[in-house]
Amino acid sequence: MSDARVTAYARLLVERCIDPEPGWQVLVATTTEARPLARELSRQLAGRGAYALTRISWGAAFPVDLDWIAAAPGELAASLPPLERRVLEEVDGTIFVLAPERDLPRLDDGGARAFRAHVSAYRDRGRAGEIPSVRCDFPCAAYADRAELTLAELEDVFYDACLRDWDEEGRRMQPVRERLDAAREVRIVGKGTDLRLSLDGRSALVDDGHLNVPGGEVFTSPVEDSLAGEILFDVPSHSTDGLVEEIRLRFEHGDVVEAAAAAGEPALLRALATDAGARRVGEFGIGCNSGITRPMRNVLFDEKMAGTIHLALGAGFPQLGGRNESALHWDLIKDLRGGGELQLDGVVVQRDGEWLP
Amino acid sequence: MAAVTEDPRPGRLAALLVERSLDVQPGWQVSVRATPLARPLVSEVAKAIARRGAYFLPRIHWGPDRFRTDLDWALEAPLELLSELPPIARHAIETEDARLTIRSPEDVHAGAELDPERRALLQRAMEPASRRARSLDVRWAVVQYPTEAAAAEARMTLPEFEDFVYGACLLDWDAEEQRMQRIKERFDGAVRVRIVGGETDLTLSVAGREGIVSSGLRNMPDGEVFYSPVEDSADGVIAYSEFPAVYLGHDVEGVRLVFREGRVVESSATRGEDFLRQVLSTDDGARRLGELGLGCNPRITRFTHNVLFDEKIDGTVHLALGGSYTYAGGKNESAVHWDMVKDLRPGGELFADGELVQRDGRWLI
Repeated sequence: MSDARVTAYARLLVERCIDPEPGWQVLVATTTEARPLARELSRQLAGRGAYALTRISWGAAFPVDLDWIAAAPGELAASLPPLERRVLEEVDGTIFVLAPERDLPRLDDGGARAFRAHVSAYRDRGRAGEIPSVRCDFPCAAYADRAELTLAELEDVFYDACLRDWDEEGRRMQPVRERLDAAREVRIVGKGTDLRLSLDGRSALVDDGHLNVPGGEVFTSPVEDSLAGEILFDVPSHSTDGLVEEIRLRFEHGDVVEAAAAAGEPALLRALATDAGARRVGEFGIGCNSGITRPMRNVLFDEKMAGTIHLALGAGFPQLGGRNESALHWDLIKDLRGGGELQLDGVVVQRDGEWLP
Repeated sequence: MAAVTEDPRPGRLAALLVERSLDVQPGWQVSVRATPLARPLVSEVAKAIARRGAYFLPRIHWGPDRFRTDLDWALEAPLELLSELPPIARHAIETEDARLTIRSPEDVHAGAELDPERRALLQRAMEPASRRARSLDVRWAVVQYPTEAAAAEARMTLPEFEDFVYGACLLDWDAEEQRMQRIKERFDGAVRVRIVGGETDLTLSVAGREGIVSSGLRNMPDGEVFYSPVEDSADGVIAYSEFPAVYLGHDVEGVRLVFREGRVVESSATRGEDFLRQVLSTDDGARRLGELGLGCNPRITRFTHNVLFDEKIDGTVHLALGGSYTYAGGKNESAVHWDMVKDLRPGGELFADGELVQRDGRWLI
């Protein structure tokens, strides 16, 4: 049974995110779980006169081959075949569709490092803005389980969040960006939360479905040593090694000085110990996607939820003035809808997740 | 990661493929084409390649295994893009050190919906890959993986077909090699090979050509001795009346070909004649023979609509229309390579320079 939404989703990825010219070579990397979308992407790239270089793997968290990575000798495991490196140097666009299987194998430390090296190699040129690139999801059983929804329910939420009029969404988010650009100080107040941070000299960016799908956030990198106060992140979040809930952080001069979690605290502490930059914040973002109304334990969606804000521990965005460097970039989400305020330079601009005029 | 499997046979087959067939060396880049159904074997192959210190380039696809082009893309792309692979894919084909094709169809007729024009253009795009393979410029192997669709095509249940496939593949290939070596020695350099059977009397020459013993190297299952016949030598008639000729998802029945000076001058079929004609007119080389093969796999006795097996049936010969193997001294060039199998077990005879060497499919040497 073909789902018209898959066609529309593929159109968004091909036409808005990549917008290929005839003769372009576009890498499509995904897993067997995303087969209907992979096939539709092939057809639509063909329709645009572009080549589809399809890389299908089994359902790893990122589409690379875990069997080989787990069995290859240390140094080799972390390196890409020279042929594939050349592919990545020459492609004109990349589409990464994540669709993991239910039972993902656990890699040992070496395997996990090799896996991260492969992911970076695939994503580097897109992240640096050299070529059009999109990283997105496909609704599959593993994501439905995680969101505690049936697959059909997940598909409804998923496509509602992704298949929007993104030009219109972009226009709607523009005033939020202007407010952030003009603001020097942000204060977030809510349950277990009173945190200040500075945006002085930093610029914000609107994600209107070009960089991520779904889009729907306005984000920037705060001044690194400005964070002061405490915050309770009430939306559960997956770190690289497990689910963490009810994270409490206290900041002084930009550094995390106290950290606790109701569940998964060891994973939180391991993440904070990644490197020096992991204890600082690289991103402050405001969720603006009104198609997402409840957390799905998938950060790509949860961070876009209208009425929430998020802070990312770790790497910032140099193109927005951010200076924090880290191998970590972990978005933690605070829901402001059940009693929270967002203040810019002392003025309340959002209360209980609703923007004030 | 590896699908849970208690069947040890994919692991043994993977070891045979990586260690014997491809003999993968450290640092090699090895591409592996398969459908998702072959996961247990692909997984074992990936690990075996990793253990040899070589790179694994998985190419999981949903189309026919003959083409290196994504089928959904190929059905919609502008025609001018079809006849050449994208530069990056072409570079990969020209650079990879070894290539494994795992036939693992979800649908044995996949690709049959391609119209003749698109199919011919895709064939042309394959030519650089085929050329490297035929000249052994790249180490390659083709293996069958037992899927439901392939089992149905072979008129077997899946468990029966699994036993059949693994039985034909997991042989003592050193012993088979010795047995086939004796057959090769009898035919090497023969000026006149004559094939006689129902409605069939064809002669051809392998003078100056050396036989290739296929003992677990490039096909899995393997088990044939083959030659690139002298290109202008085929003369006479051959009727493939026992089995259909199977190519690109088509079954062509009752193929009858008349050769003069190496070229097909008459062709007919009781079913699928249009397709036969289309293939014959693909290019100049499609009307000449690229291969004479003698089936020698003792575990393959029945026809299964799968040429990889059928051409190895003990007591059959096969002739391929189209491209020949340059490593076997062949000079015929074509995008086509269509093996057609003639059963000699019911009353057939095979002569080498006038001496009867096989009768009713049984060797007399």
